[in-house]
Amino acid sequence: MKAAGRSRRISLRTRVTVAFAVGALILSAGLATLTYGLARSYLVRQRETSGLRQTYANARLVRSVLASANPDIPQLLSSVRLPSRSTPVLRLGETWFGASVAVGRETLPPALRETVAGGVAARQRIELGGRPQLAVGIPLPAVDGAYFEVFQLVELDRTLSILLNSSIAAALVTTVAGATIGWWASRRVLSPLAAVSSAAAAVASGRFDVRLEESGDPELSRMAASFNQMTEALLTRIRRDARFASDVSHELRSPLTTLAAALDVMDSRRDEMPGRARTGLDLLSAEIGRFERLVENLLEISRIDAGVEELVLDDVVLGQFVVEAVRTSADPAAPVEHEPGAGETVVRADKRRLERVVANLVDNGRRHGGGVVRVVVERDGPWAGFAVEDAGPGVADDARDRVFDRFFRGRAAGMRGDGEGSGLGLSLVHEHVGLHEGQVWVEDRPGGGARFVVRLPVAP
Amino acid sequence: MPAGRRSAIIPPVGAHILIVEDDERIRLSLQLVLEDEGNVVDLAESAEQGLDVLARRPADVVLVDLMLPGMDGFELCRRLRASSDVPILILTARSDSHDVVAGLEAGADDYVVKPAVPKELSARVRALLRRATRPDHGPSGPVFGDIEVLPDAGTVKVGGRDVALTKTEFKLLCELAQNPGRLLTREALLDRVWGYGYFGDGRLVDVHIRRLRTKVEGDPTNPRHIVTVRGLGYKLEP
Repeated sequence: MKAAGRSRRISLRTRVTVAFAVGALILSAGLATLTYGLARSYLVRQRETSGLRQTYANARLVRSVLASANPDIPQLLSSVRLPSRSTPVLRLGETWFGASVAVGRETLPPALRETVAGGVAARQRIELGGRPQLAVGIPLPAVDGAYFEVFQLVELDRTLSILLNSSIAAALVTTVAGATIGWWASRRVLSPLAAVSSAAAAVASGRFDVRLEESGDPELSRMAASFNQMTEALLTRIRRDARFASDVSHELRSPLTTLAAALDVMDSRRDEMPGRARTGLDLLSAEIGRFERLVENLLEISRIDAGVEELVLDDVVLGQFVVEAVRTSADPAAPVEHEPGAGETVVRADKRRLERVVANLVDNGRRHGGGVVRVVVERDGPWAGFAVEDAGPGVADDARDRVFDRFFRGRAAGMRGDGEGSGLGLSLVHEHVGLHEGQVWVEDRPGGGARFVVRLPVAP
Repeated sequence: MPAGRRSAIIPPVGAHILIVEDDERIRLSLQLVLEDEGNVVDLAESAEQGLDVLARRPADVVLVDLMLPGMDGFELCRRLRASSDVPILILTARSDSHDVVAGLEAGADDYVVKPAVPKELSARVRALLRRATRPDHGPSGPVFGDIEVLPDAGTVKVGGRDVALTKTEFKLLCELAQNPGRLLTREALLDRVWGYGYFGDGRLVDVHIRRLRTKVEGDPTNPRHIVTVRGLGYKLEP
C-alpha cells in the first residue's frame, strides 16, 4: 500500500524516463566492461608475447657470447638492451649482473627466480617504483645461469586507462541518450492521455460537446471512441431529464391557460359578485398567478438545462435598458443611477432575458431585502452591468454562492412576509447571465443590505 | 395581480375573429376571453376548415396556431396572404425558435407565445384591429424616388402602379415616410406600429422591413430607400 502510494506520487513519465535511463546504463556499462576486458587481455597478451619473443632472442645472443672466451659481461648487457624499453639482468652461478642500478636481483620476485632456476622459462608482472613491469626469465643451463628482462608496461597502462575512460564516457552518454529517448517516448505515448484528461475536465465542467479525435492509432482510437460514447450517453441522459422537466411544465401550462382565461372572464364580472365570492376569486387569482410564475420559471430553467435555448441578441444601450426594465418591474419607482459614462455602454444581449434578470433581482430585493434602495448602472473596463441594492439583512458569507441555487431557502426564509417567490428567481438570473457569458454575484452594500451585481462583456 | 386582470372592455366591439387551433382547451379559452370582450368568434380545428369558414364569412383578424395537423400554420398564412391583407396573429410554442421568424415571413403581422396570457392576447388582437380600422393621417403624397405613399387613400404606388401592402406594412412605411431621412429605432417602430413598449421583439420590425423591401424596392437585397442603420434601426431616404 505504502509502495503503491509512493509510486503513484512519482509521475508515470518520470518512471518511464528513469526506466529508460537505467536500462541504457546497464546495457552500456555491460558493453563497456566487456569491450574493455577483451581489449585489455588482448593487449596484455600481445605485449607479453612480444616480450617473451625478444627475451628469447636476447637470451640466445647472451648464451652464444658467454660460450666464447672471456666475455665482457657489462659490454654484453649494454649491447642487448636495445629493441624496446627493457632492462636485462643476468645470473651466472650465484653472481648477478644488471645493466642498470635500479634493476637487479632484488627486482625480480623470488617465485620467478626459483621457477627459472628450475629450468623453466617464466614471466611475471611486477611493480617497480610504482610502475607496472613485466619480468621474463629464460634459463641458460649451459652456463649455469639465467637471463631476465624487465619490461616497462607504462605505455600499455596508458592505453588501457584511455580505453577505460572512453568506455565510461560512452556508457554515460548512452545513459543520458536513453533517458532523453524515454522522456520523449513517454511524452509521445502520454500526449493522447493528456487530451483525454483535458476532455474529461471539460465534461466535468459541463461542456458535453467535447469529443476526442478517433483517427490515428487503432488502440488510441478505440479509447477515444469509448470516451465519446460515454459523453454522448451522458448528454442524452441529461437532455432526457431536462426534457422531462420541460414537458411536465409545458403540460401544466395548458390547463393553467384555461384556468386563467376562465378567471379572466369571472374577474371582469367581479363587481357583480357578492363579497365572499369576491374574496374567493381574489384568492384564486393570486394562487393562479403564483402557479403561472412557478411553471414559467420551471419551463425556462428546464429549457436552459436541455440546451435548447437560443439567444435573440441585440445591441442594447445599457442605461436606457435598465431604466425601461425597472419601469416594467415589480418596483417601477426604484431609483436608477448611472455611473459616469456607464449609461451609453452597448452590450450584446437578449432583451427579454436581460429584462427577466432585472425583474427577478428587483423582485428579490422587494421580497427579501426590505425594498430596493437603488439600481446602479456601472462600467468596469471590458465589463459593464448593473447592481441592485437593497436595505435588507444582506446575505451571509456562507450563503453567497448557494443563494443562486434552485429552491434555496436562506435564513431569511422564515422572516418572509409572503410565500409568493418561486424559489427559482435568482437561479434563473444566474442561468440567463451565464448564457450571456457574464457574471453575477452578491456582496455587502456599504451601509448595510445586499448588493446583487451583474456584469456582461461590453460589445466590441 | 388581481388588479391587473381586471381589464376594461375596450372597443372596437363586434370585430369578427377566426381562431384556427387544434387544441380544444386553448380554442375554447381563447373564444371565452375574446367573446367576453364583445367580439364575434369563429372556430376552426384545422387550416382547411379555417379556409372554409373564411370563404363563408370574412374575418377582421385571424389567429393561427403554427402547429396544425394537415396543412400547417405557415402554409395557411401564405394562402391567406396570396389573396388578402387580413391581419394574422400567429400562436407559437416558443418565442426563441425559428418558428416566429418563419411565421412572420409567411405573412403574419404579429405573434403570441402559447399558451398565452389572456390579457396579453386580447391586447395584441386590439392592436391589430386598431391598425386595420384606423386610417393613417400623414402628409399627403410624399414621394421617394419611384415610391409614392398616399396615406389618406391607404395605398402605395411604385413607378405609377398600385402595390398591395398589408395594413402593418403600410403603417410601417407611413411611419418612415413621416420622418424622411431620420433614423427610427426598432423600439420606436415597435411602439408606433405594433404598440409594444421597449421590450418588444425587434425581429417583428426586421422581418416586416424585409417584406416591405421586396414589394417597393427595385433591388430588395441592395435597398435604396429603406436603409438599415446597423444595430439601431431604419430610415427612409428619398
